[in-house]
Amino acid sequence: MILFRPILIFFILLSPLKANTIYDLIKIPNLEIYETNTDNKLRYLYAARPFKLGTNVKKNIYCFDSNKKTLDKKYKIIKKNMNRYSSDFLKKISLKYIVLCEDLSIAKINTAGIPNSMTRTLILDIKFNEAYFERAIHHEVFHIIKDNYKDLFEESVWKNFNKKKFKYSECSTCNNKWNLDTYNKTKGFFTEYSKSTASEDMAEVFSHLMFYQDKIYNDDPIIKKKIQYIIKNILKIDNNFRFKS
Amino acid sequence: MININKIKITKSERIILVFIILLGVFTLGPLIIIKNKCLFVKNYDPNNILFKNRENIAVLNANCGNVIIELYPNISPKAVERFKTLIRSGAYDDAAFHRVIENKLIQAGDLEFGKRENLNYGKVGTGKSGLGLIKSEIDADFKYKKGSIGLARTFQMNTEDSQFFIILQDEPLFEGEYTPIGKVLHGIEVLEKVKFVPKFHIVPRPDFINSLKMLD
Repeated sequence: MILFRPILIFFILLSPLKANTIYDLIKIPNLEIYETNTDNKLRYLYAARPFKLGTNVKKNIYCFDSNKKTLDKKYKIIKKNMNRYSSDFLKKISLKYIVLCEDLSIAKINTAGIPNSMTRTLILDIKFNEAYFERAIHHEVFHIIKDNYKDLFEESVWKNFNKKKFKYSECSTCNNKWNLDTYNKTKGFFTEYSKSTASEDMAEVFSHLMFYQDKIYNDDPIIKKKIQYIIKNILKIDNNFRFKS
Repeated sequence: MININKIKITKSERIILVFIILLGVFTLGPLIIIKNKCLFVKNYDPNNILFKNRENIAVLNANCGNVIIELYPNISPKAVERFKTLIRSGAYDDAAFHRVIENKLIQAGDLEFGKRENLNYGKVGTGKSGLGLIKSEIDADFKYKKGSIGLARTFQMNTEDSQFFIILQDEPLFEGEYTPIGKVLHGIEVLEKVKFVPKFHIVPRPDFINSLKMLD
């Protein structure tokens, strides 16, 4: 007991010094600044080396560094899309940091992005399938929005828009409904992935609204209700929000 | 009568003597200089400086001299009000610079576990003032340049209290993250001499704030 306290204090004092500002702020290692001087005050960071994340000892989120050419190319696309969100709106949804890396995966399943409302961070896979890359950015932004405004985007209400017999899966990766191609005939869902969970369905509707803007024409009554629901509630967050650029 | 010839020092003996003297100077000189870390640090006297807003000038005295601080109530009114309240009550006197990262930042102001008389290494950095937490004030445009001062907080926003940090290099990522309260006008070099220990998160046997007072 006499020795316990000095030993404990020694280990506390000898904890590794994390003189890394980025790590201190968002708890992701191996990042460096890509761009901080942006109109909407977003800070873009990139993986200088691969990193692992997780909430316990078994870290199951992986992402890797990218070459400068890919980084520069994808940054332009991401910035163009993220610039559609004003600094006021981003503040309301608590999004401040965009982390650029490649081959992002969680539990060995590749993903376009991982949002974290707590750290106000969105990790984006810059090597994600180019066919859906831009739309996926808005999809992931929606997850941040929903995390911050759970009461506005109620899954119980959303589920009632679907046909009575339809049931979502237990989780977004609990089945093989991962296709992101937009259906020609929607029948209540924009994509196969929309059918995975209510949350993913909402994110798919939002991302279609943001990506296709006024080109979206749909006479599907279910889709119409879903679109109205998303628009109505996004405007509750920020009355000045524009779905068209 | 005995005739004693005067003993003359030879040339080689003279060279050896000069060599020994030079050796002594070069060996002991740096030791004396290194021991006195404040030797080349200018100590600013606030009474010799003309200020526009004396009511917002604070003087922090540390081992190597005075640090003249300007506070910005227009940018962070609540935070500056808290800071001034604590200064006027003498709360910061004898508070440790408990977190010091070389050439990066120094942090002080743990009034519960970081005072000279009751420094608690196990808890320093987690202490409170007893006045309650205040809200983050991060909306104003403020550039965190070298010498900027901000209120420290936990990982959560709106948890500012008494602890503050002074940055020793530009920190653009701090903008919009931490509540700014002011800037060092003179004496940043005093802070650069505050004790740090590489690889130690908390400084063992740290330096202390001797006093922190408002000019008026």
